[in-house]
Amino acid sequence: MTILTGLFGVAFLVPLLSVAAFAIVGLAGGRLARLEWGGWVAVALAGAAMVLGVLIGVGEMLSPGKYTDVRYTWFHLAPAPGAFPNGFSLVVGTLVDPLSALMLIVVTVVGFLVMLYSIGYMHQDRGLPRYYAELSLFLASMTGLVLADNLLEFFLFWELVGVCSYFLIGFYYEKPSAASAAKEAFLVTRVGDVMFLLGVFLFFAHYATTGPAGGWAANGFVFANGTAPYLPVASAGHSTLLTVAGLMILGGAAGKSAQFPLHVWLPDAMEGPTTVSALIHAATMVAAGVYLLAVTSVFLGFTPIDQLAIVAVGGFTAFFAATMAVVHPDIKRVIAYSTISQLGYMVLAVGAGFTMVGLYHLFTHAFFKALLFLAAGSVIHAVGTQNLFKMGGLRKPMRLTAAAFAIGGLSLAGIPPFAGFWSKDDILASVYSTLGSHPEYWPFFLLAFAAVFLTAYYIFRAWFLAFSGEHPRDPAIAHAHEGPWVMQVPLVVLSAFAVAAGLFVYIPGFAGLLVHGTNIPPHLSVTDLALSGASVGLGALGILLAWQLWGNGRVYVLAADSSLQSIRSVLLNRYYMKIAYDWVGSRAVYSVARAADFVDRYVIDGTIRGFERAFAGASDRLRRVQSGVVSDYAAYFVGGMIVVFALLLIVAPYLLARFGGG
Amino acid sequence: MIALPPIGFVGLSGALLAVGIFGILTRRNFVLLLISIEVAMNAAILDFVYFAAYAPGTANGLSGQSIAVVLVGFAATEVAVGLAIVLALYRVKGTINVAEATDLKL
Repeated sequence: MTILTGLFGVAFLVPLLSVAAFAIVGLAGGRLARLEWGGWVAVALAGAAMVLGVLIGVGEMLSPGKYTDVRYTWFHLAPAPGAFPNGFSLVVGTLVDPLSALMLIVVTVVGFLVMLYSIGYMHQDRGLPRYYAELSLFLASMTGLVLADNLLEFFLFWELVGVCSYFLIGFYYEKPSAASAAKEAFLVTRVGDVMFLLGVFLFFAHYATTGPAGGWAANGFVFANGTAPYLPVASAGHSTLLTVAGLMILGGAAGKSAQFPLHVWLPDAMEGPTTVSALIHAATMVAAGVYLLAVTSVFLGFTPIDQLAIVAVGGFTAFFAATMAVVHPDIKRVIAYSTISQLGYMVLAVGAGFTMVGLYHLFTHAFFKALLFLAAGSVIHAVGTQNLFKMGGLRKPMRLTAAAFAIGGLSLAGIPPFAGFWSKDDILASVYSTLGSHPEYWPFFLLAFAAVFLTAYYIFRAWFLAFSGEHPRDPAIAHAHEGPWVMQVPLVVLSAFAVAAGLFVYIPGFAGLLVHGTNIPPHLSVTDLALSGASVGLGALGILLAWQLWGNGRVYVLAADSSLQSIRSVLLNRYYMKIAYDWVGSRAVYSVARAADFVDRYVIDGTIRGFERAFAGASDRLRRVQSGVVSDYAAYFVGGMIVVFALLLIVAPYLLARFGGG
Repeated sequence: MIALPPIGFVGLSGALLAVGIFGILTRRNFVLLLISIEVAMNAAILDFVYFAAYAPGTANGLSGQSIAVVLVGFAATEVAVGLAIVLALYRVKGTINVAEATDLKL
């Protein structure tokens, strides 16, 4: 136990291992042909990071509630007159606490498994060194983000994971849709990033000189002070400044976690390799937004208005995204919408004050959603298409994948005893328990509750379309088969997690991680059981409906004159939000850009060019003065002489008479 | 000893200078240009002579006259050099029109 807690001091090694992988594969990847262009190097180092990460996680479980902050002062500015009275410091460091321990386990385990899976999935791709280097850089940034001990360092790694996401979405950069999806993801999350940074500034404005040990200015934005949170949570107060700061943080989280209205980038991010979708756009990076909310709520606190906003965003997104998943024909995008929806649940829980419940769902979701993505990847690898309507009957040649997808689906649908049931049920029960004191949460609770039904329906619609029936609807893909062992092992491991992760709460240490410093959801009361029953019933109903419409290879065709067609078209067009954003981009922003361009081109450049032309013209005229003709020079000479005489004889006496005086 | 009024002499040398400068500015023929320069120069020499005579008995009186003699020598030298240039120009250009001798500009 002391050995494990001793590891807290070297937590910085976790990101460093991935940095090493990034350096080795990035620099020498092309020469590592025998190691699958560096893939195995990256896998080995990710494995080492996983061992260290899990050991640290277990250490934290064994000493619940322990904060271990290893800090190094990057630089310190002595106090100057009129500046911060205790000086200004920037620090870098690692903080191991219940939050980061939980995230560390998720990130390193899923990271390792996805890396291993990539060996099989990416086998035929070009640019493998680039792939493994970028993925390693991502793992380094993500573990760095998780372990960051201050808000600025957090922001730094936040941007790093963003840029890795950009690289990897655009991995197939020669494909225009992938390149534009990468750009879209970068720009949309940037809106959130700017808000996040504003939030950091606002929090700094409030805590710069107030707070323990001289305030944030002297302590570099830290979360924890030694072995305890830096600020008592209750200190958040109700000031307008803090409310706005919290809303800005929510904006940042919404950008990263693809919450309404910044959700548009995530479905398009599916242009990247499926492994990237599994790791970055399902399990880890998109969860960073939720993690940010969790960290903020634990260490800085939200005001009630912030909480309502967070609950509203989360609850609405949970339902909103689920509706779009219902009709989509692309297997990856269905799961992508599902991710947005599930992230909405987490945001909802954090907003309602149940930080650890949200993180618990993050934990289980990471496993079953990575599982779903990797299973989908397995299917895509086998059949070469993402269109569900071309698939069918795949459960026969791909038994393992079909089973894995089904386990992931059951977990997502919240069917006991799978992992998703426990965490989703916790969220619903927790939020329900606040409804008495916060009746304004009702609509968002109901939306989230209704989304349970949609979730079960859309994920099993996907399962039935892909796996049920006798044979694929597209004869071109009749010869599907399972991938190599490196692809099967992660599926099995993740399936095990998707089944059992919900039961982890019965491991005493793990429960200790979850209940620390947060509201504990009510358990095993009558209302809780009724609520569970209702949500499981809804989930089962969704599965049944999916079976009714799509089971046994059936394809449910909506009648052309059905009134549902218009709804379907709205959903397929993503509520026209992407079109609206494009319109805003192409009209509103573009015309502003045009105006700026006009000012730049004609006003600023025009002024400069005007000067330039004036001088060029003048010098051109002046140049002609030198004609080479002696008589002309003589004329200038005479002219000059006349001027000199005029000065001497007329101007000088006048000036003397006027000003000479003395 | 000479009873010309100063205004007449200064007017005479001024008129000579004006004629000379007019010639310098308007003549394109190199020889006529040289002659114009001589006229302008003689205006200056005339001034020296006159002012030396105008203030006799001072030490300056003699120096003005001797400078006039030196200047006559200078003018002769200058004409010699100028005519040499005219000849050289004629050999190179085939003309003594100064408006066509513009090769020395940058």
